[in-house]
Amino acid sequence: MIFKKIFNYLFIVSMLMLPALGLFKFHQYMDYYEMFILVGTGLTFIWMSNYWQSFKYLVTSVLALSFISIFLYEGNLLSGEEQFILKYFLSSQSAIMWMCSLYPLSLLMYWFYLLKKQAFFGNFASQLTWIATAMGFIGLLVRWFESYLISIDVGHIPISNLYEVFVLFCLITALLHLYYEEKMNRKELGAFVLIIITVAVGFILWYTFSKGADAIQPLVPALQSYWMKIHVPANFIGYGAFAIAAMISIAYLLADKGILRSRLPSLIILDDLTYKAIAIGFIFFTIATILGAVWAAEAWGGYWSWDPKETWALIVWLNYAGWLHLRLVKGLRGPMLAWWSVIGLVITTFAFLGVNLFLSGLHSYGEL
Amino acid sequence: MRFAITMLCFIGIASVIGTILKQNEPYENYIIKFGQFWFEFFEAMGLYNVYQAFWFLLILIFLIISTSFCVSRNSPKILKEYKKFQLNARERSLKSFKHSYEIPVKKFSTSKLEKLLTENKFRLKKQTNKNGDLIISAKKGDLQKLGYIFTHLAIIIISIGGLMDGNLVLKMQELSGSKQIIYEDLALNDVPETGKLTNSNFSYRAQMLLREGEKQSVAVLKAKEGYFIQDLPFIVGLNDFRIEHYSTGQPKSFESDLIVEDKETGELIKKTINVNSPLTFNGITIYQSSFEDGGTELSLDVWNLHSAEETSKMESIIFKKNELVVNNQNYFFEFNDFRKFNILDIEIGNEKKPTNVGPSFIYKVRNESGQAKEYQTYQYPMIIDNSSYFVSGMRKTPQEDYQYLKLPADANGEINGFMIFRELLHSPQILNNAIKRVVAQSFPEGGEKSQIYFEGVDRVLSGFIEGGYSQIAESIDTTLPIEDQERIANSYIKIIFLVGKELITIYELNNIEADNFLFESNHKFVQESLTGFNDSFFYGLPIFLELKNYVHVQSSGLQLTKSPGQFWVYLGSILLVLGIFCMIYIQEVRLWILKKKDNKDILLALTTNRHRLEFDQFALKISQLMKKTFN
Ligand code: HEM
Repeated sequence: MIFKKIFNYLFIVSMLMLPALGLFKFHQYMDYYEMFILVGTGLTFIWMSNYWQSFKYLVTSVLALSFISIFLYEGNLLSGEEQFILKYFLSSQSAIMWMCSLYPLSLLMYWFYLLKKQAFFGNFASQLTWIATAMGFIGLLVRWFESYLISIDVGHIPISNLYEVFVLFCLITALLHLYYEEKMNRKELGAFVLIIITVAVGFILWYTFSKGADAIQPLVPALQSYWMKIHVPANFIGYGAFAIAAMISIAYLLADKGILRSRLPSLIILDDLTYKAIAIGFIFFTIATILGAVWAAEAWGGYWSWDPKETWALIVWLNYAGWLHLRLVKGLRGPMLAWWSVIGLVITTFAFLGVNLFLSGLHSYGEL
Repeated sequence: MRFAITMLCFIGIASVIGTILKQNEPYENYIIKFGQFWFEFFEAMGLYNVYQAFWFLLILIFLIISTSFCVSRNSPKILKEYKKFQLNARERSLKSFKHSYEIPVKKFSTSKLEKLLTENKFRLKKQTNKNGDLIISAKKGDLQKLGYIFTHLAIIIISIGGLMDGNLVLKMQELSGSKQIIYEDLALNDVPETGKLTNSNFSYRAQMLLREGEKQSVAVLKAKEGYFIQDLPFIVGLNDFRIEHYSTGQPKSFESDLIVEDKETGELIKKTINVNSPLTFNGITIYQSSFEDGGTELSLDVWNLHSAEETSKMESIIFKKNELVVNNQNYFFEFNDFRKFNILDIEIGNEKKPTNVGPSFIYKVRNESGQAKEYQTYQYPMIIDNSSYFVSGMRKTPQEDYQYLKLPADANGEINGFMIFRELLHSPQILNNAIKRVVAQSFPEGGEKSQIYFEGVDRVLSGFIEGGYSQIAESIDTTLPIEDQERIANSYIKIIFLVGKELITIYELNNIEADNFLFESNHKFVQESLTGFNDSFFYGLPIFLELKNYVHVQSSGLQLTKSPGQFWVYLGSILLVLGIFCMIYIQEVRLWILKKKDNKDILLALTTNRHRLEFDQFALKISQLMKKTFN
């Protein structure tokens, strides 16, 4: 108990000190927005971990291991190939590969748990998801650092191409899932949510091995903006939440037909969770789209250019606004809304991936 | 509501069409894709620019009107609700609530009750009825209802902002005929008044292409296949345009040094803009949007590939035309582009890496009959398969890939070595000597046989010089039996190679100072030169243009945006986020407490407009708090 208290204080102190240290050492390399984002991140972590103790452990271990990794690099990119711990564990590529192998494993464990109802499997699955998530975040942070090792002017936050945002998608979806899991104190839904994460992992692996997408590329001029640091994560909180909503809706539809009914949470709970996920997603997606407009006004000369990505964002938004209207205004519940949220994910996926694949436009950062 | 939703669906569908059908393409592309009939049909529907089509704007207007009605009808009710507390609740109806609790009370105190409620963020009103019953009506989370007003007002404000930035006014002017799109390329002075838009134009997104050192005070507003000329309240001058590159060669930044001068006040502003940092002046924002060549000056050496002629000079400018007579033929040159950086995948070590290979220029060459070929010639030699070549690509249509002519660089990395070699091939005297030396190696003592051999070799070389290997191959095909062809061909190739080597040896003997061929062995160079010489017959042009010098002039493509609706769109966006927060995350709760005069216990009832799981817990929590307070 006392340890926990000390830990909590230390956490708060370090969330204040680390940004301060960053400002102190690196302020000449940052503009005001970046300083704001840095300090804001620390404060957000403090605020979030107030609600969610486990989040603290995640942040702490991710930061600690990332610092160890950075330390082991000794400022030399080649260490990633030569140093044992880096090569197999903490270089960004290996960390992300760990993530890619642990998520499918935890999906398997979640299904064991769902079918066998032994607490051991449930706990193990959660642990695996936590570890995979931590590895993924370490992978991204170290990748950020690695990009600066390539060259100072190449360095940038790793959320700028399709490979990087897919990793981000997995992480954010997993985090949202872990949050609900802990709050509800029920672990069955991992069996569904981890499906979409595993699919994304499959894409990452394919993309890495067949296209070499994991190579760090410098930023094209249009992406060199602090807006990217907020716009992209906000968007992916939206995508992640919509994905979770769709997966829970699938569970709902199955349970509604009597499949796995006795093993899943009640329909009311599933319905409520779907609503919560969509609500969170809607808020963040709205903010992300608005930020995107503000960014576009700065980079492209207009806040709205009817570029395919923008247009599809609007369609996704209208879709979920419709969903919320039916639920809040008409009080509608049941399979129809569940189906709607599943279809919503199809639309969202098109906006996320299909636009890059099939339509051209200004948003050409991630082509296959 | 149904109407608004129909409109929204329409907007959704139209938007999808707009993303699937590429917008604002040249009309020819659409004609090719759809054929004349459907092209005209889609054009009439405005599908090539959906988002500015009349019907699309009309739907937006309808949406604004209908949502406005909705808000104006509902808002007064909501505001009234905000103030109103329902104090006339009956015991029976309260008891019928789903969350209704009878709470035993030991010692009742109104103030304690009020304190408990305010601590839980309730606003409340109380009233003692004539019969002495105390009723308290309390509520919290009213902001949820305000959320409705916020979101819907936001939709209206955003749509209006968007319409302000649309081109509705211009469309009206077009309809009335007071403005007309210009479809030809006109000099500024020839543009009629109907094609000019004055400063009073409310909103626009116009383009301007500025050469380095140039100034302009108008911009071009694209419309369908033509344009309007947009007058500006200031003069924009471009001092310098720069592209910076990463070490790997990808572009890192595009920057323009601008000087903007206000036409009225003469106020001057100097600023460097780049892709993510535009300049706003007088309500107009200037963006870096593209770039192209601005008329780079090229100094070229013209090498005749098929004669021993001296080089001549050619001066040209990108976007200008030149004419040249070569071997009694007229050639017309159109210089189309100059690229200072060219990033190609070049093999370095065992890896292919994107590498900057330096400047290139792109030009079309038309012959007298009007046929054109396109060329891209690089200034510096490139390393290909461990050798260094001057490279020039040729293609007949833009759809094809380039075919490359590769001329080996000499020991100094220059093209002179190859050109000397070509000159030697075309000098009968020297060639004759070389052939003699080759013949003498096989027949040191001379004689009749050597004379026959000499004539044979001479014939092979004249054939080669006239038309390359293929010329010789032709004569072999027609004169020799098949079984001998390959053997003879190989021996011819070898002979040509030996003569080539002797040419260089003779040259070096006569020019002791020359350092063009200071290779470890000339072997490779001779072979590559012969290949290059042979390939020049497929180059489609009897000359090679070598870029000696250039004065780089660039043009910066600017976009000028006047967007008075932007403020409203942003304002609406903030309102929208606030509103959604209110609607989704604030739970409205109403609560009543009835304390009958003749009853010790109190009756607590709670309700919410949106039942959620948390509300069950909340109601339970409040009831337990009360129990605790009064026991
Ligand atoms: C952004 C998210 C939105 C939310 C959360 C939302 C929520 C609501 C709610 C709660 C109502 C019921 C109000 C009442 O009857 O008391 C409502 C009604 C309505 N909403 Fe929305 N709305 C949103 C966006 C939109 C949009 C984009 C439109 C289209 C312009 C729209 C059009 C309408 C209309 C026309 C009504 C019916 C008003 C009436 O006739 O009574 N809403 N909305």
